[in-house]
Amino acid sequence: MNALKAPNTAVLTAMNRPTPWYRTTWFRWVIGIVIAIVLIVLPNVMPTLGNQTAARMLMWAVAVLGLNVIMGYTGQVSLGQIFFVGVGAYATAITLKTEWAQSLGFLGAVIAFVLAIVVPGAMGFLIALAAARLKGLAIAMVTIALPIIGVPLAKRFSDLTGGYGGISVPSTWFKAPEWTGLGSDPYAEWPYYLVLVISAAVFALTFFLVRGKYGRAFAIVKANEAVAASMGISPYRTKVLAFTIASMIGGIGGFLYMVVVGYTSPDTMSFPQSINLVIATIVGGAGSIVGSLLGGVYFVLVTQIPTALQLSTYTTVIAGVVILLVLFLLPGGLSSLPRVIRRLASRGRVRGGGNSSSTTKNVDDGTAVSIAGEPGNTKK
Amino acid sequence: MTTFIQLIVDGLAQGSIYAALALAIVLVNQATGLLNFSQGAMAVISAFVALTVTTALAPALGTTMAIIVAIIVAILFSFVLGGAVERLVMRRFEGGDQDTAVVATIGMLTLITGVVGVIWGYNYQQFPWFFPIAQSFMVGGIGISLWSLTTFLAIVVIMILLQLVFAKTKLGLGLRAVADNPNSAALSGLKVGRLLVVGWGLAAVLGSVAGILIAPKLQLTPTMLDSALVYALAAVVVGGLDSPIGAAIAAWGIAIVENLSAFYLPFVGNDLKVAVPFVLLVIVLVIRPQGLFGRKAVVRV
Repeated sequence: MNALKAPNTAVLTAMNRPTPWYRTTWFRWVIGIVIAIVLIVLPNVMPTLGNQTAARMLMWAVAVLGLNVIMGYTGQVSLGQIFFVGVGAYATAITLKTEWAQSLGFLGAVIAFVLAIVVPGAMGFLIALAAARLKGLAIAMVTIALPIIGVPLAKRFSDLTGGYGGISVPSTWFKAPEWTGLGSDPYAEWPYYLVLVISAAVFALTFFLVRGKYGRAFAIVKANEAVAASMGISPYRTKVLAFTIASMIGGIGGFLYMVVVGYTSPDTMSFPQSINLVIATIVGGAGSIVGSLLGGVYFVLVTQIPTALQLSTYTTVIAGVVILLVLFLLPGGLSSLPRVIRRLASRGRVRGGGNSSSTTKNVDDGTAVSIAGEPGNTKK
Repeated sequence: MTTFIQLIVDGLAQGSIYAALALAIVLVNQATGLLNFSQGAMAVISAFVALTVTTALAPALGTTMAIIVAIIVAILFSFVLGGAVERLVMRRFEGGDQDTAVVATIGMLTLITGVVGVIWGYNYQQFPWFFPIAQSFMVGGIGISLWSLTTFLAIVVIMILLQLVFAKTKLGLGLRAVADNPNSAALSGLKVGRLLVVGWGLAAVLGSVAGILIAPKLQLTPTMLDSALVYALAAVVVGGLDSPIGAAIAAWGIAIVENLSAFYLPFVGNDLKVAVPFVLLVIVLVIRPQGLFGRKAVVRV
């Protein structure tokens, strides 16, 4: 419901106060262009390890974004997103290994990409048909089984998946074409650019999805299923739709995983990974596009930093402490940090200037809701 | 026929473990409306505490006495742990957004698993038991595993005790009142906060007993109960979140069907038997979304 009220409050804001410089349209354009230039120039400046890390962050950001569609925007906790990433990765690898795909060249990669979306999407659709029937936390209780089943399943069909040993994409794929002049190293800049283009497209499409008609349906189902039903929006269908889209985006994440890492094994979709993905979503910021990006960055750093410091035994403890701290101190995740700081700052200003504090508070709450319906705001 | 009965008895034993975890989950859900995904992790850390106490005391007291002392210590530990988690962490999320609370329990799951990994390591560790785990005795020509039978009986006794606590004691009455309606319980002078701590403590004790009972069979690792948690959750969904008896029966049913299908259906085998409860779950959800024994919730809008 908050999300529906938000535009009104935003209009009021505009009438009451001049738009601050950091919220104007041209400023956002500048920021966007600067970020785009940095992302494009980056791989030429960074060492190979930096490129790989950046590509992995983008790739996991896509997986987190998928989870955000069902968890952040539709409010249904899913613990099985990693399963769809794994299925997407396997679909990619299995397709690209066939001689048939190799003979097709670029078209083969396109077919692999399509399969990496369709196969997880179909699976997600079937699972959601059953899981979305129960109210409340049923989706969490059902999807927790996916990684637990996925791992033995991948091990069992070893003819297809390579069993314990896993499966890798032949190194002939994802090499830089000659016209780019990027050299033949398959793990340098080229995969990064591929991941950048695909993930940018996925982020853009999801941005428009959650802002449009379906995004409003997701928000109302998250806020109150009874109200949604009374408005002619079927909570069941909406949940199935959101879950299917989430699985498809997860599958794209799996495709990108094969572009970046080039190898997958049953461990890719293990239970701890699944939990980490959920944690990354909340740490980044549930129901936020920027939060998904931050979630991807967190997902990579939370294992990479302790490993670099030779503290990898503590990785799980650190992840647990981080998520609890975020839930206690910053329920909207990292993406809500600027907003929280702004709110604290304006509170200070109000005390100094003697303005009516309630106006300021409303204004800030309004913007908070219009940007993201994060869990912190839906609390009673 | 012999194998069939053995499979059923083994299924009952494993089912008891799932049932205990499922009951702990139902207990917490009834009292606070939360779903505790860290129930298994709490049980694992208690089992590790029991292991450490046993190893420390075994030379002085002998293995049998050491295990008994260790179980008592682990039960006390888990009661304190459960209460502390409720008071220090979960209290903040009760009555709020369900999703946030679930993520908080997932955070606890990660934290506890990590702490166990740091203290005790990720390698498999043998848990000593009163008798060899493979030991079995003959009943009418059928060999029955002693571990399976004793585990089943132990859990049944604990369930009956728990039922008595809930039905006959003042504490149980208070817990039921809080579960039913925390606000009116508070108005009638019940110390809701304290009762919630006790409820979480009892649930943790139930889980830890299950963890200790299965530890000698599975060997101890920080992730020992991850798949048991999935079974327990499946049992809770099949049996209904509001029906302890339903959850327990579902847990036994799941374990028996799982064991039988692993043996009689070559395609399932030991590796894929974990998928059996999931398939059952999907079927139940399609036919009876409120669970086999659950009441259909009617919400006034």
